[in-house]
Amino acid sequence: MIVVNYLAAAAVFCLGLYAVLTRRNIIKMVMGLSLMEASTYLFVVSVAYRARSTAPVLLNPQDGKTPAELAKGDVADPVLQNFCLTAIVIGVALTAVFLAVAVRVAQHYRTLDADKVRAMRG
Amino acid sequence: MTTPVLAALLPLAVVIPLTGAVAAPLLARLSRRLPLVVSVVALAGAAVPLALAAPSVFSGTVVVHYLGGWVPVHGAALGVGFAADPFGLVFALAFVVIGALLLVSTLSQFGGLGPRELGGYACLFQLLIAALVGSALTADLFNLFVWFEVAALSSYGLTGFLLERPVAAEAAFKILVLTTLASFLLFVGIGLLYAGHGALNLAQLHGSLARGTRTPDRIALGLLVAGFATKAGLVPFHGWLPDAHTAAPGPVSALFSGLMVSMGVLAIGRLAFQVYASGSTAVLGVLLVLGLASALLGAVLALAQDDLKRLLAYDTISQMGIVVVGLATGTAAGVGGATYHFVNHALFKSLLFLCAGAILHANGVERLSEMGSLVRRMPVVTAAFVLGVLSIVGVPPFNSYVSLGLIHDALHETHQEAAYVLMLVAQVVTIAALGRATWLAFFRRRPQPYENPERLRAGMITAMSGLGVCCVAAGALPEQILRYVVAPAQATLLHGSAYARAVLDGGRGAAPAPVAFQYGNVEELVTVAVSVVVAAALAYGYLRIREPVPVRALRAVHTGSVNDYAAYAVGGAVLVVAVLALAI
Repeated sequence: MIVVNYLAAAAVFCLGLYAVLTRRNIIKMVMGLSLMEASTYLFVVSVAYRARSTAPVLLNPQDGKTPAELAKGDVADPVLQNFCLTAIVIGVALTAVFLAVAVRVAQHYRTLDADKVRAMRG
Repeated sequence: MTTPVLAALLPLAVVIPLTGAVAAPLLARLSRRLPLVVSVVALAGAAVPLALAAPSVFSGTVVVHYLGGWVPVHGAALGVGFAADPFGLVFALAFVVIGALLLVSTLSQFGGLGPRELGGYACLFQLLIAALVGSALTADLFNLFVWFEVAALSSYGLTGFLLERPVAAEAAFKILVLTTLASFLLFVGIGLLYAGHGALNLAQLHGSLARGTRTPDRIALGLLVAGFATKAGLVPFHGWLPDAHTAAPGPVSALFSGLMVSMGVLAIGRLAFQVYASGSTAVLGVLLVLGLASALLGAVLALAQDDLKRLLAYDTISQMGIVVVGLATGTAAGVGGATYHFVNHALFKSLLFLCAGAILHANGVERLSEMGSLVRRMPVVTAAFVLGVLSIVGVPPFNSYVSLGLIHDALHETHQEAAYVLMLVAQVVTIAALGRATWLAFFRRRPQPYENPERLRAGMITAMSGLGVCCVAAGALPEQILRYVVAPAQATLLHGSAYARAVLDGGRGAAPAPVAFQYGNVEELVTVAVSVVVAAALAYGYLRIREPVPVRALRAVHTGSVNDYAAYAVGGAVLVVAVLALAI
């Protein structure tokens, strides 16, 4: 059932959001954001799902079908899967930057508590 | 040149700075300053295809190029399209021209840094400009998301560029968290839209949405508006903006404030008018509320700041609010005024941030309470700063007079008198905030002299005079700007179907519709004069009283905690989505 996917995506998203909004440890916030990110992939891939469809590979189809027949609706939507691939690549870069900044914060402030890292306010 | 040639050259506006970004760190091995010099050349090169396209684009043609030759078939576009319409081209040209001037300023301000730092700086700077130009030209929603991410990644690097300052790491973390949250909203919003319509091309989406806007489409619009509002720094998505501007070096603050935040406004404008059919959603109402909240809150918080760059950053929030209010009127005068005000803001805010950077560079002070007597020490900077302030204030003949006047006219035209009054209040507080800053920094007497001040360098003066000249020109030639730039820009935005036809079928685009503005309108002149007098009284009074309770409460809400800022942004996003989904 695809509904399960949507529910799981929503649950993981909320879990990540909870971590971002309530955890003060910078690493835990980064983990929360990674969870939210993963949930958006699950959501978008689930949107691409079509009942009784195959993966969007049109070369050498089985069951004697032609690529054109496959493309008419029996494959999952490849564009949305492409979205996810692009977003995963961006997400990796993002996590690297996140952790680099976390290391810098730890070096400068000798803490990972975001609540102690707020020299700028008001 | 013919339109197909211009169209084929269009991607060069992005490709040249991207190439420069790759080359910059490598060239740093040859010579320290080479990366910055190459960056200036690359941005000038990027301006060439844009400038070549400008005459035909501003006469109403939309120059369209599909990357890789994947042209639309039967009204369905699979390839990524680049379309220069007048609205996008105004932004793209401002991005490359002002970006090049800021690099000239960096060239002399950071000339002393090492080759690795300069190479990295030039790389990130060009990457950000390339992303901004790409977002202004693209006609594809997912491509827009990718440019958003490219801009975001390079902005993180630039925010944390002076990593020896602890606040830089703090600011970088805040901008990372909030922009990442925004990118999730955009990603899900684009996924929803694609799932409903099977299209990513803005023109194709326009056609599909014109047949009917269902609830998922409105939710998607809410997510997209909230995501781009974070980039634009609108209240309540603004938590990252003042910190990032305070911690970054002067030219980077100018780049963020003058150029990067406008990317959000540009995208919101495109979504509200060119993608969604006007009147099918409550987006204009939502934008009006967001814009007014930003205009007021930004102005009040600017009045309360002691750090000069932070003051200017809060004013950026206020000015973006004004631009969004202009868009929210949905009329020719309002949208035209918003476009004009974006150009003005990019010019005067870059100029003011360069002044703040120059003061810090020369005297090592960044707080207003430590400044004073700068008029005798730095007459050039004083002149530039006062020019910028007068432009914001909007005294004729300076540029904001026309753009603000147009937005005021639009609010009268649509009978939104309450919004007009709130705009005037925001303007009065803005004038008071900047007047207070000018007095404290430049004209107040400072008892003790500055310690071993550094002298201003040629590049900084060149950039400041360049921006100053553009600022004066934008105010001195309102007739020409209204006729040749603003009129076509507002027409292309307000006539989404003409834009859609041009992008998909190669039509001509919307015909420029004239925007009327009475320069010598007595009512407007009296309003400006009265606001200046009231603002002077307010600034004078504010210098003499303790911080009033409402201001203190507002400042207390800005706790500096990432968790709180994320909570404000998420709350704002939920509200925006709920209102757009439920209102018909």
